[in-house]
Formats: sequence, structure tokens, C-alpha cells
Amino acid sequence: MSSIGTGYDLAASTFSPDGRIFQVEYAQKAVDNAGTMIAIRGKNGIVMVADKVISSKLYTDNANPRMFNVNDNVGVGVAGNYPDGFSLKNYAYGEAMKWLKDYREPMPVQNISNAVAEYIHIHTLGISRPFGAGAFFVAWNKQSGGRLFLVEPSGLNYEYKAWAVGKHRQAAKAEIEKLKIDELDMQQLVKEAARIIMAVRDESKDKNVQIEMGWVGEHTNGKYEEVPEDVVTAAEEWATAKLDEDDMED
Amino acid sequence: MFRNQYDSDVTVWSPQGRLHQVEYAVEAMKQGSATVGIKSDTHAVIVALKRAQNELSSHQKKIYEIDTHAGVSIAGLLSDGRILARFLQTECSSWRWDYKQPVPIKKLAEAMQLKLQANTQYYGRRPFGVGILVAGYDKDGAHIIQTDPSAEVVSMHGTSIGARSQSARTYLERNVEKFEKSSPEELIVHALLALRDTLPAEENLSAQNTSIGIVGKDAPFTLLEDGQVAVHLNQVSTHPRTTAQAQGDAEPMQM
Repeated sequence: MSSIGTGYDLAASTFSPDGRIFQVEYAQKAVDNAGTMIAIRGKNGIVMVADKVISSKLYTDNANPRMFNVNDNVGVGVAGNYPDGFSLKNYAYGEAMKWLKDYREPMPVQNISNAVAEYIHIHTLGISRPFGAGAFFVAWNKQSGGRLFLVEPSGLNYEYKAWAVGKHRQAAKAEIEKLKIDELDMQQLVKEAARIIMAVRDESKDKNVQIEMGWVGEHTNGKYEEVPEDVVTAAEEWATAKLDEDDMED
Repeated sequence: MFRNQYDSDVTVWSPQGRLHQVEYAVEAMKQGSATVGIKSDTHAVIVALKRAQNELSSHQKKIYEIDTHAGVSIAGLLSDGRILARFLQTECSSWRWDYKQPVPIKKLAEAMQLKLQANTQYYGRRPFGVGILVAGYDKDGAHIIQTDPSAEVVSMHGTSIGARSQSARTYLERNVEKFEKSSPEELIVHALLALRDTLPAEENLSAQNTSIGIVGKDAPFTLLEDGQVAVHLNQVSTHPRTTAQAQGDAEPMQM
């Protein structure tokens, strides 16, 4: 990279001569190098799926969850540096709690992702380092259907139909584009999400990996939930069979 | 040595998206004498190896009680660890004041993670050069929580941190299936055997350099030292030393 060694990349408060803020780009790298995370909006709900490396059997089950409730209706999935992500989740939770106290109703997903985006953006001004984590925010209700936002280390906050972040994001996005996601019901969505995250794995490098899933939709009555273990296992089995089948055809 | 221009400040990302200062703080933890924690369904045990500056000084305290249902063991800069132990004691007592019940260990872990994370992000501080094992018992059962300076906080069946702790983790990974149904006494023996594997061949565990903390169902956190430790060490001494020592672990720094 031409930026290295010029001295313009040592603080988020410094612009480079061509108008870039390298510290923010480097923070984005922390997300780009971390485990893949996908979120897809289907016909009547949204599913998030993350790939996690379990480096030792000494860890307890699901020792480091990447997906949480922000409130009953909104789920967050954090990608990148784990402690940074956890801190973001904590901020989102605090904001949602404040909203509930002030307005006596749950904070909508768009307001949550906006609040977190503003908070992340402050960290790109140079007082402290930018967050090395990004966050998906997901929700579903009858009026507006499924909504999916991604907040990035730069403070950008876009709404998506589907998106992928992390190590194998490009391959994952290519796979998602092959699907007619608007027509998938929840069951198909969970299966396809599992298939994609397993298909994009680098078999020589990604060992002892585990899937974590969260969903929200009509079937959960608009509540964000962890996907039950048996559903995840069934999806993984279906995906393994499907991937083997595809290999046979090749 | 490792110097590069992205490692002088905690608040600087390297072009690869890494935080070098934070990684160096993790190295500080790896130089402190080892500590081991394991749990069964009903109990959690932490054991630690204490160091003395010289023959005239006492051994440095490594295990602290933080509430009647939890204790911590420290590896790394012990003065940093003492600050964190005090923080956890305060968390425990304020939770008791607010909710009139002991703090769930998970909540303790979350508070700890947020505190550690702040020290990796905000200017004017350095990360804590210390790792901590929390042993606790609450309504969800026994817990062992491992923390490190990079603010990775994680729940474990058993683990070890500090100098040559890889040897202890190797022992734990080989025996992890046995822990769940172990009695408190068996747990202590497993923990001490793992701890012994972190020692060079010419050194051994003694009543002076070893401390044991245990907590469990209907058993408040207890710190065993000196005479009480000797009883358990006797049981360990009947097991032959394994020759396998970790390769590539740094020599311990005196602190």
C-alpha cells in the first residue's frame, strides 16, 4: 500500500493529501479479516448467520455469541474485533433502553442503527481509534416487513436486502445474488444461508468452525431470536448433502 | 526487535487491521507465573503459582476472593490485576445492594469485558497487562471465565494462562471429559497436575508457592494456603511428572 510510511496513516484526525483517512480504512480491515457473517431478507423474515472458529475444546458451548437482542424486536450481529463489537452491542442496548424510558415504546431498528452509526462516526474524528467492528441490525414487522441495516467502522449506515461481511464476503455475495431471495420462506432461507456460509469456507484453513444463527420474522411474531439448535443442525445437514451433491455434478 | 511505526500507541490501527500495543500487553500476561482454572457441574477451582522476589520476601498473592460466590486468580502484572480484582469486588457488592442477590457470573464477565475494551480504545490509557481467571458459582452452575488484555472474555470448561501455560492447556485438553463429574478433591488434583506441567523439571509445587481457590454448590469461595495446600499436594506427588514440556514458551520474567 502506498499509504504506508508516509505518516498520513497514524491517526484518524489526519487526512492524506488525496483526501483519505487511512486509520478508518485499517479499522475496516479488522472486519474484512474476521469470520464471515451474512444477513439475508426473505419473503417473510430475516436470517443472520456467522461462521466462528472454535480453536479449542476447552471453550464452553457458544462461549462467544456474535448475535444479541438489542430489544425484543431488534437483533444485532457483530462482525470483526470481538471486544469492539461487544462494546457496540452494549451501546445499542443502552440507547434502546433510553428510548423505552423516554417514549414508552420499543426503539425502531432504523433509529437504533442511526444512533450506533453516529457513535461510530465520532470515533472516526481522531479523538480515539475507530471501532474495528461492524454491526448488522435486523427487525421485522407487519407494516414495513423485514429491515436490515449494516453499520461500518466508517460510520456508514446502509439498508440492504442482503449483505455479507468478513473473510469470504465476496464469494458469499456472489452466492446470494444467484438466489431469488424475495421468494424464499423462512425454512428455505435458513437452509440457503447455512449452505452459502459453508460453501464459501476455505477448507484448508477454516477448521473447527461452527455456525451461529439468528432470525426474526412473521413466524417469531416480530421478535428477534436465536435460531433453535435443532433447526441449525438440520440446516447444516441439508447444506452438507446439497454441497456434496453439487460436487458430484462437477 | 519487533519495532514498527504502528506500535507506539494503543489507538492506532496497523494497515492489516491489528492493534500492536494490545498484542504486546497480551505478551506481558504470558510472562506472569501460570494459573489454572477448571470446573465440574458443581464446583469451580483456581490454582496459582506464586513467585517470591528472593528468599527473604514473601510470595506474591495471586488469588483474591471477590464475593462469597466468586474468586479470581491473576497472571501478569500483579498490580494491574489487583486493580481489576478491586473493580470486580465493587461490581459484586453494588449488584448485591441493587438486587439483593449475588451477581450472576455472566454479568460480571460482561462488565469486565467492557472495562478491558475501553482501555484498548481510548487515548491516555494502556491496556491492563494482566489476564484473569474468574471462578464462580451461581444459579446456572459453576463457571470459569478467562480474560486477557485484548478484552477477549470467554467462558471455559478449563483453562490456563501465564508462563508456559500451553503445557497446562495440553493436560486440560487431554482430560477435559473427566472434569464434569469430578468431585471437588479430584478437581483440585487435576488443576494442580496441570499447573505442575508449567514448571521446569528442576522446580516443583510446594505449600509456599501454590495457592488454591475453590467455590461450589453450598460452598462459599475458600482460599487454601500453606498447610491446607500441603494435603492436596501430597495427592499430586504420587502422580509421576510428565516429561512433555511446552516448546518455545518464553522464560518467565521476575515480577
